[in-house]
Formats: sequence, C-alpha cells, structure tokens
Amino acid sequence: MKKAEMITGVVLLVLSGFAIQEAWRMPSSATFGPGAGFLPFWLGVLLAVLATILFVSAWRSQATEKDSEPVFPGKQALFAITSVLVGLAGYILLIEVLGYLVDTFLFIVFLMKTVEREKWPLTLMVAVSTTAVLFITFQFLLRIKLPSNIFGF
Amino acid sequence: MFNIFDNLIMGFHVATSWENILFCFIGVLIGTLIGVLPGIGPTTGIAILIPVTFGMNATTAIITMAGVYYGAMYGGSTTSILINLPGESASVMTMLDGYQMAKKGRAGPALGMAALASFIAGTFAVIMLTLIAPPLASFAVSFGPPEYFALTFMGLTLVSALGGDNPLKAYISAVLGLLVACVGIDAISGVARFTYDNMNLLDGVGFIGMAIGLFAVSEILVNIEEPIKQVFSDAKLGFLSLFPNLQDWKDSFGALWRGSLLGFFIGTLPGSGATLCSFIAYGVEKKVSKHPEKFGTGVIEGVAAPEGANNAAAGGAMVPMLTLGIPSGGATAVMLGALMIHGLRPGPMLFSTNPEFVWGLIASMYIGNVFLVILNMPLIGIWVKLLKVPYKVLMPLILTIAATGIFATDNNIFDMWIMFFFGLVGYVMQKLGFPAAPMVLALVLGRLVEMSLRQSLTISHGSISIFFTRPISGVLMIIALVSLFFPLLRILWIRFRAARTA
Repeated sequence: MKKAEMITGVVLLVLSGFAIQEAWRMPSSATFGPGAGFLPFWLGVLLAVLATILFVSAWRSQATEKDSEPVFPGKQALFAITSVLVGLAGYILLIEVLGYLVDTFLFIVFLMKTVEREKWPLTLMVAVSTTAVLFITFQFLLRIKLPSNIFGF
Repeated sequence: MFNIFDNLIMGFHVATSWENILFCFIGVLIGTLIGVLPGIGPTTGIAILIPVTFGMNATTAIITMAGVYYGAMYGGSTTSILINLPGESASVMTMLDGYQMAKKGRAGPALGMAALASFIAGTFAVIMLTLIAPPLASFAVSFGPPEYFALTFMGLTLVSALGGDNPLKAYISAVLGLLVACVGIDAISGVARFTYDNMNLLDGVGFIGMAIGLFAVSEILVNIEEPIKQVFSDAKLGFLSLFPNLQDWKDSFGALWRGSLLGFFIGTLPGSGATLCSFIAYGVEKKVSKHPEKFGTGVIEGVAAPEGANNAAAGGAMVPMLTLGIPSGGATAVMLGALMIHGLRPGPMLFSTNPEFVWGLIASMYIGNVFLVILNMPLIGIWVKLLKVPYKVLMPLILTIAATGIFATDNNIFDMWIMFFFGLVGYVMQKLGFPAAPMVLALVLGRLVEMSLRQSLTISHGSISIFFTRPISGVLMIIALVSLFFPLLRILWIRFRAARTA
C-alpha cells in the first residue's frame, strides 16, 4: 500500500499540474467576478496540496506487514478482469457494426466462456434469454431504437 | 399542520394512481432482490435503473428509485441472518446477533423482527419526513448564493469526513469529482473547458455513465477478483414461526424507538448513510443494555436496533435531498442526478413548484413500506431460494443491462465509453481505498458549487468574508471547516495527550 500510495500521489500531482496549466489559459476573471478558469485553477491547487500530503505521509509511514501484500490481484484474477474490460470495449466498438442482438449475444457468450469458464449449455441458455429479455424490454416496452447491423437486426 | 395533512392527501392521490402503485411495487420488489443478492448494492441498483425509468414521468421514476433504496434495507437483513453474509453494507450489524439467533434455531423470529422493525422504523421516518421537510424547505427558500455555497461545501466535507476511514482520500475523490464537473461549457461565461473539440464533452461528462461506471462496473470487477462464496441455509421457515413472541417484543421495544430516532436524525446529516446509522444504533443499544455481555450471542435487540436504524436512515436521507437538494450519500446522490435528468430542479423550491411530485413520493413511501412487509414476511422462502442464483449468471446480466441502459438514455455510444472509463477508474480507486461516493456527489453538486461560489464572490467584489458574515452561511461554513480539519485536530489531540503523559 505504501508504494501504491506514493505512486498515486505522484500521478495526482501530475494531474493537478495539468489542471492548473489548462485553467491558466482560461479567462480567470469576467467583467463582474471570477471567470471560467477560477474554480478549475483553485481545484488544481487544492489537489496538488492533497496529493503532496498523501505522498509525504505515505513516504514517512512505516512499512507494515500489510504492505508486502500486493494491492492488485494475482495472475488469474487479473486475467479475468482484463477479459471483462477487453470484452466490454469490444462490445462498445462493435455494437453498431454487428447490431444489438448479435453483439450482446456474443458478449455474454464471451463473458461466460472466458471469465466464468462455464459449460456450453448454460452459456447458451443465459446468452439467449438475457439478450431476448433486454431486447424486448428496451426495443418494444421502452420503445428505444437499439443499433442494428446492415442486415437490419 | 392542516396544510401538511391536505398535502399528504394530495400526495396519496398521486401515489395511488395505478401506474405509481405498480412501479412502487416493482421498485420495492427490485430493492428486496438487490438487498438479498450479495454483490449488488442499492446504489448500483438505482444507477442501472435510471435509464430504464427515463420514459416515465419524473414522479413515477423517483417513486421506483426510492422504492429500490428503502427496499434494499429490508432485503439485506435476510442474508445477514440466514447465511452470515450481508446483502449490503447497511446490514453488517444485523449479522452479529441475527446469525447467532439463526444458529440457535430462532431464524424465524429474527427475520420477522427484522422485517417488522424495518416497517415500524421506516414508517416512523416517513412520518417525521412529512412533518419536518415542509418547514425546513420554507426556511431554506430565503437562501442566497453564499448560503448555497456554504451548504454544498458542508455537504461535501461531511460526506468525506464521515464516509470512510481515510478522510484525505475522500477529499481527493471529491476534488477530482469537482474537476470532472468543470468539463464542458461554463454556464456563466460560455467558455468551453477541458473539451478538446470533442462535441460529446460540451455538455459535460454524462452523469449516468459516470455513476454506473463507478458503482456497477467497478463492483463487478471487484466481485470477479474475489468470488462471492455461496452458502445455503436449510432453515425451515413457516409463516407463523416468523412472529416474535411477547418477550421478544418487550426486549426490543427500547431498541426499536432508539434505533428509529437515531437512524432518522443521523440519517438526515449529509455523509452519514444507513450503514453508519446501524453501527451507531447497535453501539448505543449495547451501552444502555442491562446485559451488554450478551450482545453478539443472539439477542433480539441486536437485530431490532440496526434494522430499525438503517430503515429510518433511508427515510432521513430524503430530508436534505428533497428540502435542500443536497444528497446525503452515494444512493441519494444518484437519485438526485436522476431528478435533474428528469428536468426537476432540486432544492427548497421543489415543495412549492412541484408539490405533486414531493408529496406523491412521500405518500408512496407509506405504501411501499406496507408492500415490503407483505413481500418480506410470507414470501421469505422465495427470497432464500433466490440465493441459489449463481453470480456468474448475474454478472453478464448486470453488465449488459447497464450498457444497454446507458445507450438507451441518449442513443450515444460515447456515454458507454464514459461508463467504461469510470468503471476502470472506480476499480482502481476501490483497490487503493478511495471512496467513490464523494466523487459522484461532487459531480452532482459541481454546477451548484461553482455557480454559487462565483455569484457570491461577484456580490462581494471578491471578498470571501461574505461566507462568514451572513449568519446561516457562517454557521454552515464553521461546521464544514470543523469537519474538514477534524482528522487533523484529532491527530494533534492524541499527540498532545501522549506528550503530557510522557
């Protein structure tokens, strides 16, 4: 945790520097009072102060036994989390190409097979029923036009 | 007084339309479900419901969402008692004595008392809300920009100071949220900030995408990493076995009213939340008890107090949300964001501009509490069976509902990317111990904070003394500053005492 907090502090410091720099280029005062850059600038300063406190207190703190435990998960869990994120990104990217039905079906199959390592019968059952229920609810009950592919579904 | 009565009757007219009754029922049903299922909390539930409620009118939508919120408080106790696993964080304290009672074969009375305590405290909280909210709102109508800035500032500092064990990280989370709120066209001067010529960002970062990402997606990621253990209970639960006996009622009487009062009043404070209230109520009950040593071995007061408190807190949380437009925690922040999306302007004027909305919501809470007792007492067996639904079936379901819902609100793929981004951010924050609630609260309040700050400074020609010389804003600012520096003061005090004894 100690190391992770020090890194977080540095990242936040960079972020605050970025916010301050951006806010600097906005008009800092308008005709009658503070302008668009006023709040972002002071938020950047505040963030810099808080990040420094975080960094220094993490740096000065004694390393405890808990610190030797890694903050982020082991290989297997990391694989599962990455798969969910990659799957979700793919889902968003492909939704207008494949259409809602195909894309959602494939996404659920992907989640069940790679993340959960489930057998095919349950996978297909969950994928078909979830896709169907969501499609009916949103397309027909809530009357929202979901994306479709070039074949029209 | 009569005015309140008249308004309440009007509220019941609104709440008893077939549509509102139906959605109140659906809301508390979903709430119970979310409460029972570990791995999905009320805030997540409300967040993924926003898009679904989009086509409804604002009153029906908020009735549904509020139903989910207090419904989850009922449902959470079931798993705490039966399998020693809290359905959501507000029922952690119920586990201590509830599970012990179940082990001794008294699962029935424990579940029954949890449901009835929830009902009594929940109804008490709605009555208090009915009585307290209107005068508070009419008092707050006179608030000007300095008062609003002080109020929102106090809300943010209290949420950060009370909402976790590391206030510093909570403050950072709130500041980051305020920075995110700055993205988009500045409402006063029309300057585009942090948009980088991206059309989608001109309107600001989408609230729904951010809330669903921070709560629903990150919750899924955490749950994948640490799989939820599934334990089943074989407790046999007949309907009659659920009723606590006379001795149970005698033992719980004090716990019930203390829990209700504490839960409601602490629940109205920004940042407290139902979880904190149930902790305090349990602690107080143990203090005043004649046999504190028996707590944790299965005494019924240990179930009645926290269950009463968390339900009363859910009602108390509505007070600042409806009267001042200040949410008290994550779940109410998400609800408040939803209100704004529905075109309502939360704040003290809500009572005069949209009385049918406010009173319809309050009246629906009376009805919802009755639904919940019916759902939770005779049907408890069904909820216990639901625990057998494995998380691997739920996970794709939650994720696809969330993604579809986000797309549905604006027909905009960009909002899905916002969900993706904040899902990742939320996960990293959770791993590093940064709470998400202050960030969402800051995004919801961001515009109000900035507008009121800049308007105040314009009035005062740039002097910050305006926040301290006006009595109401002065008091609020002092509370805010005390809570802001409270962690620091505590450290100094401990050092001072250590130095004196040494």
